[in-house]
Amino acid sequence: MIFANGKLLPDTERKAVLDGLEAQLDAVRTAPPLEAETVISAVDALGKRLEDGEFAPLLSRFLPAGMGLDELLPLLRRESLEGKLTAELGPEPFVSKDFAKTTARVLPLGVLFHIAPGNMPGLPVYTALEGLLTGNINLVKLPHGDKGLSLAAFGLLVEQEPRLAPYIYAFDLPSGRREDMKVLAALADGLVVWGGDGAVEAARTLAGPGCKLMEWGHRLSFAYLSGYEDREAELSALASHIVETGQRLCSSCQVIFLDTDDREEGLAFCREFLPYLEKAAAQRPGPGAGAPASLSGHTALLERIVDGRAEGETIFRGKGCSVILRPDRELELSPMEGNVLVKLLPQKELLSALRRRKGRLQTAGLVCAPEKREALTDLLARAGLTRVTRAGGMSASFPGEAHDGEYALRRYVRMVDVEKG
Amino acid sequence: MLSRQRLFWRLRPYDLPGSDRAFLRACRDNCAYHICHCPGYAAICRHLGFSPEQLRTIDDLAKIPVIPTLFFKRKALFSMPQWRMAMKVTSSGTSGKYSRIGFDWGSILAEAPMVINLGFRHHLVSPKPAHCVILGYKPHKSNHTGVTRTMFGLTHFSPPLSRTYALHMVDGGYVPNLDSVARALKKFERSHFPTRVIGFPSYLWFGLKRMEELGLRVKLPKGSRIILAGGWKQHSDQEVDKGTLYALVEKTLGVPEENINELFGAVEHPVFYNTCKRHHFHIPAYGRIIIRDPDTLEPLPMGRVGLINLISPLMCATPTLSVMTDDLGYLTTGEKCGCGIQTPYLTILGRVGMSDIQTCAAGASELLGKGEAF
Repeated sequence: MIFANGKLLPDTERKAVLDGLEAQLDAVRTAPPLEAETVISAVDALGKRLEDGEFAPLLSRFLPAGMGLDELLPLLRRESLEGKLTAELGPEPFVSKDFAKTTARVLPLGVLFHIAPGNMPGLPVYTALEGLLTGNINLVKLPHGDKGLSLAAFGLLVEQEPRLAPYIYAFDLPSGRREDMKVLAALADGLVVWGGDGAVEAARTLAGPGCKLMEWGHRLSFAYLSGYEDREAELSALASHIVETGQRLCSSCQVIFLDTDDREEGLAFCREFLPYLEKAAAQRPGPGAGAPASLSGHTALLERIVDGRAEGETIFRGKGCSVILRPDRELELSPMEGNVLVKLLPQKELLSALRRRKGRLQTAGLVCAPEKREALTDLLARAGLTRVTRAGGMSASFPGEAHDGEYALRRYVRMVDVEKG
Repeated sequence: MLSRQRLFWRLRPYDLPGSDRAFLRACRDNCAYHICHCPGYAAICRHLGFSPEQLRTIDDLAKIPVIPTLFFKRKALFSMPQWRMAMKVTSSGTSGKYSRIGFDWGSILAEAPMVINLGFRHHLVSPKPAHCVILGYKPHKSNHTGVTRTMFGLTHFSPPLSRTYALHMVDGGYVPNLDSVARALKKFERSHFPTRVIGFPSYLWFGLKRMEELGLRVKLPKGSRIILAGGWKQHSDQEVDKGTLYALVEKTLGVPEENINELFGAVEHPVFYNTCKRHHFHIPAYGRIIIRDPDTLEPLPMGRVGLINLISPLMCATPTLSVMTDDLGYLTTGEKCGCGIQTPYLTILGRVGMSDIQTCAAGASELLGKGEAF
């Protein structure tokens, strides 16, 4: 399906839409740009309707079982949208600045082509929303797994505020449709790509010179344990985080690093942590809910065996989860779905181990004694992490936070200097 | 490997106790073969402390290392060089990832009597020529999926007069052409020969719903059959129960319920499972099924719901002796069916919620250089 100019169209219309797109975009850009207030009030109103459960039947059709939009809903409120604008673009984001001989105006970059991610429902809409807030026209390539949620959301948004219609286009393109992707990229001033190395590399070949590339690549996150503030609460929060995110997000904990070099301590931690993880796993809804964990865990073990990497590790199997004590110090992807890796990483070796994953680091969930927190936070920040949180908050979103170390909106606007007459 | 041929050339396809000895022997030989020829499989057996001598009774089958089909999607394992294989087949890759499985000539020699034997038993084989309507992919040189080959193969149970496909390759992608299917069905209604509709159950359902909307109905000639294979795949969220589907088949195509066959199998486990007249998948002598606890992967007793572990010593090119799909299901004792076949039957409840979606953390591991060419 295609979403263009406020209308849902069948894929057969794709060629017609693409052929007429340049003329349409030019017409929109000739008019004054979209104002942030128009977007904010529309999104805020829609968010309220979402929170009131008005679209619950619609959402249940599109969302995977057991998944909600709880993480995204707070981001749709007026105060968080306004907060985002001021945090990223300053207190008066779109007001021109006066200099001695010029006035600096803030304008949208123009047309953004988003290659949207499929790992979290709602993100295709969110990336387009960032583009809208800065007044850009958004062309969105929907992810493979999107079952219609994004199209429905765009529909509702335009229904709420018809003035947004010319600023949103979404395409359910199969990835093989490279020609169509090229057409869209050629129209864009900026290409926003979310995804793995493969997606980023493909995007680099799509974006010609003159098209700015904005990459939100994949990241890895971990927990670092060096003592406790409240042992039971922290371990149980970490276990819930691991099970609830299924370790599928960039911010999900893949490895628990322990600040020790003593293997006995590592074994003791695994034995202690397993019941916490089992307790969290038991909360999964539905029959066979532990199956993905068992399948992933077992498959990953077989892969490690075949790769000759399984020697020297100890696996603690629980019901629908596992804790794997590994002999190395590398940050790597876990088997996911509630199978967490545990590694020994004394503080003095932390920086060098993490530097080997530079450009891939995102969140560290720090669990430690209060007196150590400041120093360890500094060390993690210097090592290249872009977020340092508490154990349970690794995947939480906080008002004003940057995206992988950058303020996205700053990249979606441009400055125009006008000489005074 | 003679023990394998002895098993697959057995003439009584539903005699499990009678085939236990032959089955166990063939599994022992198959396992030993893979350990000898596939270093990866040998490493798995060594690490998990398994050796073929541990297979003494039929209950010992549970000890064979179980390889999830998910594993074959990430890694290809082979026990012979590719030039010795008869063919290489991929799973349909609903999620964009697919298994790569090699077939040796011996497995094809063993499959043939199994398919013919079961084909006769389930009334699929007929000397009367038939028109074939395939609600699936038209074979193409770029399409290596097992289900495409299976559906093409199924057209040979009776001499095929014609083949009409619902999905054609156009500009490098498959596009549906349901109109031509509807026209063909209308034409075959007046033929002296029966029609065989072969395809994915999901496509049959969507096609029939469409025909119903358009007010189209045909009465296919006597002896026409519906043969369903390949499951609901990416349309599993819209799956309907068999009774509803069969009623619509009878109403729109005029084919009675007893002329509907369903097949089950996987590229990783190409045993020819057929539904009995009561539409149950009984275990044939060429395979065994263990249901495993979703939380611990331990074997479960009859009747309990769990992950489906399929065992067959059919393949020598790829170590698929004991594989596990990501479906949930359960077994029921044969007597409860009442069709006359005494072996337990499998009920498939559907996929577990594996996230087929590309996860963002998983993407970061691409830098570890995983994946290999076939």
